[in-house]
Amino acid sequence: MLLVVDVHSGVPVYRQIMDQIKVHIASGLLSTGAELPSTRNLSSDLGVNPMTVSKAYSLLERDGVLERRPGRPLVVREQPEAQVEARRLEPLREALHPCATLAHQLGVPAEEAVTLYREELQNTAIPPSPKSPSAKNSARSRDSEEAS
Amino acid sequence: MTLAIDVQDLSHSYSRGRSGSTPTLSRLQLQVPQGSLVGLIGRNGCGKSTLLRHLIGDVLPQRGRVEVLGCPAPKLDSATLARIGMVYQRSRFIDWMSVEEHIRYVASFYPDWDVELEQRLVGQLELELDARVGSLSPGNVQKLALVLATGHRPDLLLLDEPAAGLDPFGRSELLHFLLELLRERHETTIVIASHVLRDVEKVVDHIVCLHDGQLTADQPLDSLQERYARWQVLSPQGEPLPHQFPESFVVRQIIEGPQAQLWTDGVGDEERKAFEQRHGVSVNSRALTLDEIFPLLTRARDSWLREAS
Repeated sequence: MLLVVDVHSGVPVYRQIMDQIKVHIASGLLSTGAELPSTRNLSSDLGVNPMTVSKAYSLLERDGVLERRPGRPLVVREQPEAQVEARRLEPLREALHPCATLAHQLGVPAEEAVTLYREELQNTAIPPSPKSPSAKNSARSRDSEEAS
Repeated sequence: MTLAIDVQDLSHSYSRGRSGSTPTLSRLQLQVPQGSLVGLIGRNGCGKSTLLRHLIGDVLPQRGRVEVLGCPAPKLDSATLARIGMVYQRSRFIDWMSVEEHIRYVASFYPDWDVELEQRLVGQLELELDARVGSLSPGNVQKLALVLATGHRPDLLLLDEPAAGLDPFGRSELLHFLLELLRERHETTIVIASHVLRDVEKVVDHIVCLHDGQLTADQPLDSLQERYARWQVLSPQGEPLPHQFPESFVVRQIIEGPQAQLWTDGVGDEERKAFEQRHGVSVNSRALTLDEIFPLLTRARDSWLREAS
């Protein structure tokens, strides 16, 4: 699991850890039952205070994202389908907020801004990763087509 | 919750000859739970070092009470003192000894000196054991001070500007080492007084800010970061904004035509949306780094408040 935190961004590090784990779950990189590194190991890898990691883990546990079992590593809990979908859009919505205000600032009409976003999506399109849930489905359907 | 440090109502002033005295610490209250890594910040001369010296009984309280590790600081016995480590801003050592001789000399005072930890630290910090202490660079003196302050695995480690003489590499080694100490023993409490805020920000979980003899912050770093924000405010149609936003959560504001920068204190998402609707504006909120929060906690804040009134 790759987590990158910027301790000088002003965004609390525990938040950055929580957000990235949620993104990894939404993108399918962390699937149900996947084990998370121990507080000690993750804090050592990231070079941050162990309290910060344990705070992020506790809050994710509270939110029903992670599950603690006695004496075993924390694991990703099974997520309701609807919630996975909502969580997938959450970071995108947040990232779009500054773009939207910038469009207002520059006086760019909404349609034009949407066109730009569509263009940008096309420009950056990469073949779907086999790890994303939607790609997994399509891969499965391709397999079945080949088999038939 | 066991307290490593308990300061109640502490006041201290240094006499300034005929002109009287200036209060350095004024009725200070501070509780530090065991196992925390506290960043003590504040402007030069704000009393950080004075506070640290109170904690080891080096300065006696003129008023109030100071307890460390459950023992009144002015009466620390040798058993409790042996559980404390301190790195001073400017350390003085015995110049004619070699680094190794000096370490052995200090180690001899502690029955529980951890030679393995000492050797690991000497290696990590790249200290030369046979160098004369008197010939060490200020940075290396600082490293020696660190070894001497931690070799006995203190329960309370007090560091006064420990990174001052260190290059960026040495600083990052130091921070790495502090975190390692915490990981090995959760009950170790570390207080690091520094104005290299980028270093502090990297490792501490709690911030204490001293200003004019009082605490202007005593809270987890996370909640401090979540408390303050910088807003970029825009009027979508390019209409000029009001001359001043009256909301009390606005700590500082710079307004130019349809745009404004606001520094806000303690505003949640809902309140921000209400602000956007009330003024017909859009807001981009950005988190602040400790460097940016610092002026809000210290003198800059006073002058902005004066400006506004």
